[in-house]
Amino acid sequence: MSELKRTVLYNEHLAAGATMVDFGGWDMPIQYPAGIVAEHLFTRSACGLFDVSHMGRLLVEGPQRVAFLQYALTSNVEALTLNRAQYCMIPNERGGAVDDAYLYMFEEDRFLLVVNASNKDKDLKHLLPIAEKFDVTIRDISDEYAAIAVQGPLSRKLLEELNGGKELTEPKKNACGTVMLEGHEARLSTTGYTGEPIGYEVYMKNADAVWLWKRLGEMGAKPAGLGARDTLRLESCMPLYGHELGTDHDGKEIPIFAVPLAKFAVSFLDSKGDFVGKAPLQKQFETYTRIQAGDFSDISLIPRRVMPICLVDRGVIRGGMTVYKDGKEVGWITSGTMIPYYDFEEEFSTEKVARRSIGLAYLDTPVQRGDFVEVDVRGKRLRAVIPASHMNGRTPPYARPIVWKEEK
Amino acid sequence: MNIPKELKYSNDHEWVKFEGDTAIIGISDFAQDSLGDIVFINLPAEGDQVTAGEVFGDIESVKTVSDMSSPVSGTITAVNEELTDAPEKLNADPYGAWIIKVENVTEQSDLMDADAYEAFCKEA
Repeated sequence: MSELKRTVLYNEHLAAGATMVDFGGWDMPIQYPAGIVAEHLFTRSACGLFDVSHMGRLLVEGPQRVAFLQYALTSNVEALTLNRAQYCMIPNERGGAVDDAYLYMFEEDRFLLVVNASNKDKDLKHLLPIAEKFDVTIRDISDEYAAIAVQGPLSRKLLEELNGGKELTEPKKNACGTVMLEGHEARLSTTGYTGEPIGYEVYMKNADAVWLWKRLGEMGAKPAGLGARDTLRLESCMPLYGHELGTDHDGKEIPIFAVPLAKFAVSFLDSKGDFVGKAPLQKQFETYTRIQAGDFSDISLIPRRVMPICLVDRGVIRGGMTVYKDGKEVGWITSGTMIPYYDFEEEFSTEKVARRSIGLAYLDTPVQRGDFVEVDVRGKRLRAVIPASHMNGRTPPYARPIVWKEEK
Repeated sequence: MNIPKELKYSNDHEWVKFEGDTAIIGISDFAQDSLGDIVFINLPAEGDQVTAGEVFGDIESVKTVSDMSSPVSGTITAVNEELTDAPEKLNADPYGAWIIKVENVTEQSDLMDADAYEAFCKEA
């Protein structure tokens, strides 16, 4: 067995009493003593700190970097301007996802592509042969930089304080900036994997990252592990590669347009030109457009879709469980657990904590929002519903859970 | 790790307290710690029969699901319904948050005393 890799924050996790697990070859904190529920809620009410240094960070440089990325990614890279970021897919020739990724432009003459930790080697193996046809270089800088996600309603205030009270980035989603935090250079972006209306991902040199982690801790932020990272992303319906992207549990490829976020990640603009998987993706998009219009006559290219699912009966849904509708099998849960939330009406309040079993499911395309289904939960068929979403993250400073309630 | 001396323990990490004819059953500190945040419990009903070594309910944390096996055979005379809405009490106070009370105990699994259980946990 090969040795597990450690991030530069490894000792901080141990000092904080974290439970460490093997995550794609990395020795990572799944939770700290506070526990997943407390870490999840603290991120929603204040500020959670996540070590995301295990993520793959690739620097793309060279005169043909835009042309290369336009060809290798699904997004319109030309539209990306300095200090902006965009979500994208690394598509394969069949219109499936090699990975999903975030592309950042912190500097005029290079791009930073951040990919999933466990996919980095596969991504490089896929991207390098494509890059050979362009005048570009791809440099893996994962070991030189650390990354910390600072997420939640207090995140901006804390980071701005370290920035001498000055604004960090433009006040919108997917904005980036390079700032000095008490003398330490940081590249940060208003992105994240928690669904929080306010949140940052901060890239720093290794030594500086240890400083930032400690400093933000002193200021009141609290560490959150991979467990909370998963419940937070699930509550905001974000896909996780290997669950909602890539191949399904039958080993079949999940079409990119079966994933709700795809429409933001794929561009067919003429100026983008040809790209990997463009023809099959265009066909998928036509199918997707028909489905959105309520036409299910030909769904062969998107036979199933990733949908949010919420358990109505008492119990807990989990990945792999089979879903039925009118007694017929219609798919399965891709991610699910019991997730805590603050139960409040108009004004945000931490007074009342409730929980609900929610998740994402890969379901036959004719299953629609509002439909009732049944989930086989350890031999019992429990009632569930397909809601529009689980949470609204566009309501700064606090995300608002969207809780399904049975009409009386 | 808190392992009270006066209790008996099963190898499924349940604790049992015998009070006269009644066996009071819960999960150990080790069990709650390994599970992490407990977010759901499926309880049996009063009057149900339980059999030593057989499942009487399940308990779920954010990460995983785990069966609860009864360390004794008998009749359930009380169920701690409070746990349905507040399963986190099992984390906060595993020896205070009893789960079921069983009477007419006819048989019991091999149970460990606190010292044996402590050694058992170290191996786990």
